Amino acid sequence: MSASALEVVRLAKTFGGLRAVDDVSFTVPHGSLTALIGPNGAGKTTVFNLITNFFRPDAGEARFYGTSLAGLAPGHIAALGLVRTFQSARIFPGMTTLENALVGAHLQVRTGPMGQMLWLPAAGREERALTHRAEALLDLVGLAADRDIPATELPMGAQKLLEVVRALMARPRLLLLDEPAAGLNDSETAELAALLRAVRANGITVALVEHNMSLVMGVADQVVVLDAGKLLASGTAMQMQSDARVIEAYIGQDAEAA
Amino acid sequence: MDTAIQIVIGGLLQGSVFAIVALGFSLVFRVTGAINLSQGAFCIIGALVTYSLQESFGWPVALAAAGAAAVTAATGLAIGAAVFVPALSRLPVSSMLIMTAGLLTLLEGLTLVVWGSQPYALPPFSGEAPIEWLGVRVPTQGFWIAGVTAAVIFGLWYLLMRTAAGKALRACAENPMAARLMGIDVPRVTLASFVLAAFIGGLGGIVVGPITSLQFDTGRFFTIFGFIAVAMGGIGSFIGAVVGGLLLGVVEQLAAGYISSMFANSLAFGLLLVVLLWRPNGLFASGLARRTDVREGQRIYPPIVRLKGRRAAILGAIAVLVALALPNFIPSVSVMSSLVITCILFIALLGLDILMGYAGQVSLGQAGFMAIGGYAAALLATGYGWSPLAGTAAGMLLSVACATVLSLFTMRLRGHYLALATLAFGLLVDSFAIGLTDVTGGPSGLVGIPAFAIGSLVFDTSTKMYYFLVALIVVIVLLLHGGVRSGFGRALQAVRTDQTAASALGINVARYKLIALSISAALASLAGSLYAFYFHFLSPEMVGMPRSLELIAMLVLGGEGTLVGPLIGAALLTLLPTIIQPLAAYKTFATGALLVLAVRYLPGGIYGAAVHRLGRLIGRRAAAGELR
Repeated sequence: MSASALEVVRLAKTFGGLRAVDDVSFTVPHGSLTALIGPNGAGKTTVFNLITNFFRPDAGEARFYGTSLAGLAPGHIAALGLVRTFQSARIFPGMTTLENALVGAHLQVRTGPMGQMLWLPAAGREERALTHRAEALLDLVGLAADRDIPATELPMGAQKLLEVVRALMARPRLLLLDEPAAGLNDSETAELAALLRAVRANGITVALVEHNMSLVMGVADQVVVLDAGKLLASGTAMQMQSDARVIEAYIGQDAEAA
Repeated sequence: MDTAIQIVIGGLLQGSVFAIVALGFSLVFRVTGAINLSQGAFCIIGALVTYSLQESFGWPVALAAAGAAAVTAATGLAIGAAVFVPALSRLPVSSMLIMTAGLLTLLEGLTLVVWGSQPYALPPFSGEAPIEWLGVRVPTQGFWIAGVTAAVIFGLWYLLMRTAAGKALRACAENPMAARLMGIDVPRVTLASFVLAAFIGGLGGIVVGPITSLQFDTGRFFTIFGFIAVAMGGIGSFIGAVVGGLLLGVVEQLAAGYISSMFANSLAFGLLLVVLLWRPNGLFASGLARRTDVREGQRIYPPIVRLKGRRAAILGAIAVLVALALPNFIPSVSVMSSLVITCILFIALLGLDILMGYAGQVSLGQAGFMAIGGYAAALLATGYGWSPLAGTAAGMLLSVACATVLSLFTMRLRGHYLALATLAFGLLVDSFAIGLTDVTGGPSGLVGIPAFAIGSLVFDTSTKMYYFLVALIVVIVLLLHGGVRSGFGRALQAVRTDQTAASALGINVARYKLIALSISAALASLAGSLYAFYFHFLSPEMVGMPRSLELIAMLVLGGEGTLVGPLIGAALLTLLPTIIQPLAAYKTFATGALLVLAVRYLPGGIYGAAVHRLGRLIGRRAAAGELR
């Protein structure tokens, strides 16, 4: 049993001539809320894509509670308990808000297609239990009233919250969130922060890529800073806020002179 | 040796036309990302217009050919401007594929209305006497074909690489958004590419006319072989289209010459599968990798049609009661028979809806599974004394086995490969049904099939069959509804709209595609068996490619992803031609036109529109109630 939920070991990926991710290593401790920050193009999302095998890394690997994720299909990784969201909320069109949330519980469903087709009582019970949980989570992010409308009709911020709910329905051990606050207004961001704290309180480890600094400073235990594909620094939110290298990466060389 | 050279030359000539059709495919695909299945129909229009101008108007061949090319281009312009280009920005790619299948049917129907169903032969451009050189005889038409093919390839290369218009076209192919920002009128360039493809197709049809027997429905063979050529060469690659076409022509002629013409099609299909397995993107893949974590262009999806539990149960019960009472109000035997056919086709449609409406996978070969079910059950019943029930079950198992093989070939591929594989599969089954004359009775069909029976219960009249079908349909609908309202249905819909996000949630995309295809194959097979037992007769044309396209039209017209909606489509397209007899000649045309219109303007089908209306009506009444 490893103490870290996720170990990223010397990951590297080159696109054409660009070293998008260059020898990046960090760990996400079990039960923590880790934020991955850095200027645009720093390689944050690429790191997520490498961890979940949407891209094949050139070198290095990610280990999830000690298990190497190298070469595993995205579906297999989800089955291990590592669930991710996407930068552009990828909710499913053609389904309602509630149905979208329920898709997240796919791996929790125990009765197979056959049992569902035969209207087995167990399938009905399971469906009701999942619906109950989905409604509770939707309620938590203020989407309970919208459960039966097409999810694509939700505003962008609500769609991103729905995507987080959908990921939570999978009962993940580690949740990877790619810019969950992008496109959210202030009240939605506050709801997200509350949700993230609740998630951590329930023992789910979280790693997120985020630009919204007030959110990061408010909820993150650990901050990992990337710049131009390289690991720049890591530590607590407070440490990172005053770290000269981090300030320089964000504001530029003249920061000290000014 | 001479024979071999002779055959290879024949193959190259045949292949030239495949290459021309494939070039048209590639051109439209490069610019729009859509596969235009109506491409082959332009060949037939070109050839038949040439025939009419020569025979009926007495035009000289050069003038007739030029006139026909112009007519084909004008047809392309009309269809492109009115239907194809406006639909591009509004429909998902899979709907575009279905829509072009509708265009193919529409153009076939139009050709049937104008030229009738008899075959035509064009006179060669330069006399009948072939040219003989070193013992090899080449028909003079061969030089025309080779010359025109070379001219088309060179002309296309020059246009794309050496002119400003070609640069605009390539820009639209690479990145339509950037092209628009650079001031290129993208819809106009798209239209130009569509018209150019139609024109090229017309030319191909005109030159190949004299060495091919032409009929209103020959266009679909050009479409299929052009499609196979382009898939082998690599979709979007021009060199690939030419090489794929020539290769396909040579292989086909060699197979026809040395084995049997029946196996020519089978071999073409086999060749395609080998290439797809070995190099899924074709021999000359464009090599462009796409990011999979970013969604490709936002498209509009059909509205959500849901009836809530209690309301659905009440309406369902009413529908069953109406269905049970219906035979008492049917005046004629022929309408009763159409009603039975409607029910049989609805069974196949229920499966197709799971596959297309829920899982979003296009199948253009459902009739192939119907044929397997029909022939298997009929042959086992007539030749081996199996009971109809056992024969039907055997057919279903065989169909599921075929579906499994098909998905093994296509499951790791995205895009249109399943549509392509099912299209080729339908053609393959059809060629066996026609070719294995000793077993299937060939084109004239299989006779003496007994009535369907379960034990001593024999369903030998239309009315008995009808009641049996109603009961069977109720059971199937209940089973499928149980599945689609639960996790199974949600997983299928997730696969339909976003495979990347679906797999990130642990959904095994390939597995769900396989299950959906298997269900559709089993139900199509069941429908095919019942069809054969009901008619006591089965011929290849009852379960050929037009049937596959008709099923798609019924599904889309009735409402995809609604389970019961397709019943409306099946009833309309089966009952209307029976009730209004003069309409029968226009059936193909009407099927195509309705399919195109439904894809374009009725995204939820007739059923979706009706439920939407109903929902609004009830909503208004509820609102009024609250006010009171």
